[in-house]
Amino acid sequence: MKKVYGAYLCTGCGIGAVLDVDGLKDAASDAGIAMKDHACLCGAEGRAFIEKDIADQGVNTIVVCGCSPRVMQQEFNFGEQTITVRGNLREHVAWTGSLKDDGSVDDFLQEMATDYVRMAVTRAQKTELPAPYKLETISKKILVMGGGIAGLTAAQEAAKAGYEVTLVEKEAQLGGKALGWRKMFPTAYPYADLENPSIQNMVAEVQANGKITVKTGTEVARIGGAPGQFNVTFKTAGAASEWDAPAKVTADQQDLINKGELEDPNKGLQKYTTANPDGEMFGAVVLATGWTPADVSQYEHLGHGKIANVVTNAEFEKLAKNGKVPARVAFVQSPGGKEDDKDFPYCNSVTSMVALKQANYVVEDNPVDGKAYILYQHMRTPGNAEFFYKSMQAKDGVFMTKAAVTKVTAGGGALLVDVEDNLLGENLQLEVDMVVLAAGMIPTTAGANTINLAYRQGPAFLDLDLFDGYADSHFVCFPYETRRTGIYNCGGVRKAETMDETIDDATGAALKAIQCIESANRGVAVHPRSGDQTYPDFFFSRCTQCKRCTEECPFGALDDDEKGTPLPNPTRCRRCGTCMGACPERIINFADYSIDMIGSMVKSIEVPDDDEEKLRVAVFVCENDAYPAIDMSGMHRNKMNRLVRFIPVRCLGSVNMVWIKDAMSSGMDGALLLGCKYGDDYQCHFVKGSEIASRRMENIGETLGSLGLEPERCGVREIAITDYDKLPAIIDEFVEEIVAMGPNPFKGY
Amino acid sequence: MTMNVQPDLEFIRAMKEAGGNTLKQCYQCATCSVACPLSSDTKPFPRKEMILAQWGLKDQLIADPNVYLCHHCGDCIALCPRGARPGDVLGAIRAYVYRSLGWPKGLADLCSKAKNLPVLIGIPAVVIFFMWLISGGMHFPSGEQFAKVGYTHFFGHWDFRLLAKNVLFIDIIMLGSVGIAVFSLYKGASALWNGMTASIGQNEVLYRPSVPQFIKQFLWPAILEILAHKRFRECTINADRVRGHQPLVWAFIGLFFVTCYSLFVQDVLGIFWPSMHGPLSMWGPVKWVANVAAVAMIMGTVILWQNRNKMEAAGTANTFYDWFLIWIIMGVGVTGLAAEVLRLVGVVSLGYIVYYVHLISVMMLFLYLPYTKFAHIVYRTLAMAFERYRESSYVKNPLNG
Repeated sequence: MKKVYGAYLCTGCGIGAVLDVDGLKDAASDAGIAMKDHACLCGAEGRAFIEKDIADQGVNTIVVCGCSPRVMQQEFNFGEQTITVRGNLREHVAWTGSLKDDGSVDDFLQEMATDYVRMAVTRAQKTELPAPYKLETISKKILVMGGGIAGLTAAQEAAKAGYEVTLVEKEAQLGGKALGWRKMFPTAYPYADLENPSIQNMVAEVQANGKITVKTGTEVARIGGAPGQFNVTFKTAGAASEWDAPAKVTADQQDLINKGELEDPNKGLQKYTTANPDGEMFGAVVLATGWTPADVSQYEHLGHGKIANVVTNAEFEKLAKNGKVPARVAFVQSPGGKEDDKDFPYCNSVTSMVALKQANYVVEDNPVDGKAYILYQHMRTPGNAEFFYKSMQAKDGVFMTKAAVTKVTAGGGALLVDVEDNLLGENLQLEVDMVVLAAGMIPTTAGANTINLAYRQGPAFLDLDLFDGYADSHFVCFPYETRRTGIYNCGGVRKAETMDETIDDATGAALKAIQCIESANRGVAVHPRSGDQTYPDFFFSRCTQCKRCTEECPFGALDDDEKGTPLPNPTRCRRCGTCMGACPERIINFADYSIDMIGSMVKSIEVPDDDEEKLRVAVFVCENDAYPAIDMSGMHRNKMNRLVRFIPVRCLGSVNMVWIKDAMSSGMDGALLLGCKYGDDYQCHFVKGSEIASRRMENIGETLGSLGLEPERCGVREIAITDYDKLPAIIDEFVEEIVAMGPNPFKGY
Repeated sequence: MTMNVQPDLEFIRAMKEAGGNTLKQCYQCATCSVACPLSSDTKPFPRKEMILAQWGLKDQLIADPNVYLCHHCGDCIALCPRGARPGDVLGAIRAYVYRSLGWPKGLADLCSKAKNLPVLIGIPAVVIFFMWLISGGMHFPSGEQFAKVGYTHFFGHWDFRLLAKNVLFIDIIMLGSVGIAVFSLYKGASALWNGMTASIGQNEVLYRPSVPQFIKQFLWPAILEILAHKRFRECTINADRVRGHQPLVWAFIGLFFVTCYSLFVQDVLGIFWPSMHGPLSMWGPVKWVANVAAVAMIMGTVILWQNRNKMEAAGTANTFYDWFLIWIIMGVGVTGLAAEVLRLVGVVSLGYIVYYVHLISVMMLFLYLPYTKFAHIVYRTLAMAFERYRESSYVKNPLNG
């Protein structure tokens, strides 16, 4: 595409009132694109103003300097074949400042605006129109792993939407844990009474569905490939296969193996990059492998495993399914005694609900003398489950109290339960026939690969210890998404949840799988940059096989060959650019986002070399939360430090350290990265980006130190989107530190 | 102290039948204890009573003074987020306790259900009718005689001057009833006091107040407080009840005085001066008191009656327990006044019939006192005395620890 440029300055929304319009237009011309101004570009007239140039002059690359690129996106969308670059003069400049007291234009503010104009022009000059990456062949089949409620629902929902589904279950029959239930929670108004399990109907429906292929007694040996082209090898449950997923081998371990100093853990297994010619192709995977009941014998004072008739809720359910339960039963919800009020691990609200359900068995089986004691620290009955709680509470033989259970002992043909800190005001001793412990539901992904990927980064999900083993990439922000694109989780692997929640979950995961397949089919990113047509392009002839990109990709999108050259899988990719930030050779770029582009934008910032008042700080801003926070700060008309220049980046992970060097060598006085929180409660949209970036910044700090520059000139600040009001102060503080250090000594060279 | 928990499922069921059918809805937020104007910061209620009731822990509840300290003003009911109606539950507990402390048990059980109403009326009706039959006085007097002696020859007349025949019969009926009631209340009050003192670990201690000390330090102040209706006035939702309850209390006191006076004048002084027999003079101050009290009794009861109707319209399910006492008192007041009016206008036969009904209602009031809501006159007073005792130096005495 031959680019024909047009640059437009909007003077509305107060921009023209505080800035020198002609000065901005001159800056654009100086940078290479002549600029026109209009009082309201987003209006019908303004749009016609631009469209006229498109029609008359064939303009196809448009620079709009006005409001934030986060607003008015439809107004400035001129079609797929037209590039629009936005310069943010409103939220970042005009709304953060004002005229001087004497009514003249503030030169600091004007310089800010001209820099943003130059950066926008530079960006337009460096960007290219993206062409989506299309797979040659695509499978639209969905693989569902696990035949319990979650898997059955996901299969059924995907089939309803018209997709072929294969459902694998390692047991001999479908149904999962629900097969062992005597009753299930109420599912319809008034949510008062337990219902007979519907699992057999669900199984029958799936079995009768022509779009669903059921494989029982079967496991997934490995999943290779990428969304749209997953190559899946099945095997008989429990058997070993040469196609089992290979364990992760690091570069260092591979060296040792090559030298014969370490045994290859993957001996006898096919290499992870080898595609099984007999493997079945799938577009996406729903992981619904569920949970296992927790072992609670470590809580010695409760006596599980030592005292007869101290059972777990799972064991009690089995008893109840097979016959009558005892008349006097205590349900213990929390194991911590007086010291700790936490419920059993991995319980969520489910064990509260289960205790209520099982209390009903007690009074149902023993109508005259049934007594069920529920001793809880937390009674969690969310949503409509509250109605069920109320109906159970109303039963004469159900007794509940918040309580610390300190000991269970056997004595005189009964069990004695010591209860302290309860609502009755005195310590209690209950005499019961059975004690039921509210053991949690441990996700199958805790401690096992489960998903069995044949990926460079290993067969399991990464960093699940952040989520206690739940297969998640971010529970709140990205439901059903795992760290592996194309693999969506639901049911017990995602959270301990009730059947109702599981059905919702499984439906969501099935829709996610479909979204992924269709996105792959159109060659665009699925999430969180949904619809992004770009993808990382590798200039392989200059690759040095350093493996940084393959190691750092948060999503395991890159495999590699024997030599270590990356093998991209664009449909696994989420377009965060972490690989681009990692590459020391700078050979990884996107059509509209490249090392050269951002570097040139940085260099287009004018750095006065003779004015100690006018220091310059480049701030690389994550587009996901930090950039909107700056916009919101502007919308609130908060002042903004006039020495900083914001440069939007896809993710801090995509920040290549060469940009920092560019900034410092062009005489800027500091560089700051502004991105999401990382660590335990991370908010990074690409999971690892901000963490990796802060590590890189530590390293560059050292480099600066060796050049005689203060390492503190480069910083990273984590902010949440809600921090918009604190943002000006955070920026001011950083700039003040720079001011205290004085100008960059290399300024002007 | 560890409580061995033995929930009484029967108690829970009885509770639900006796107007506490909402008790299981409580989820222990303690809004009630905060809302209650009578509950103290250090001994709050009724939150704990609710869970004790839910758990069927009858023995703890019977010995719990808070159950009786509750005046059922309804502030907690209005604010309860779960519709658990704590005030009603406490009322049901009281009904249950009066019944379970009542002696003889058969009579106590009889008083607990509306379906026994014919029997409850039938017992005094038959007793009095039988006494009337055997008294030989079973004829209507002439109008002239009626104007002179009124109902004092209801059970006939003899010339034995030490004891009028009528007095004998009425004493047999009424003192018999009162005797049963007093014995029953004595038993119940002792059990309650022992339970309450045991609940604070004070049942077997060295230092206890003597009876005069008890009366002076604890009982009398409690009675003064009751007369002033201090606690009733603290209620916000149902403050109107004071207008009904207070006249009623004073009416009872007035009528008690008149009855004692009449007893003394007619049955003691009358022995020496037979002219003292017969109705009190309409113009004497005592009769004035009697008439004012009778009117106050009817007015007070009407107000309480209306109040209950209003509560029912607002959704409270009043139980037989709540209504029975109102009915009896209304019966006593209306028939008493009507009998007097009929005497004054000289309608003999109707007057006699109304008087008969009056005797029935008075006997019901006395005989059923320990098992109906009327028992609160003793048990609540005792609990209010206990409340003072609990805070006194007797309990705080280290030697009593």
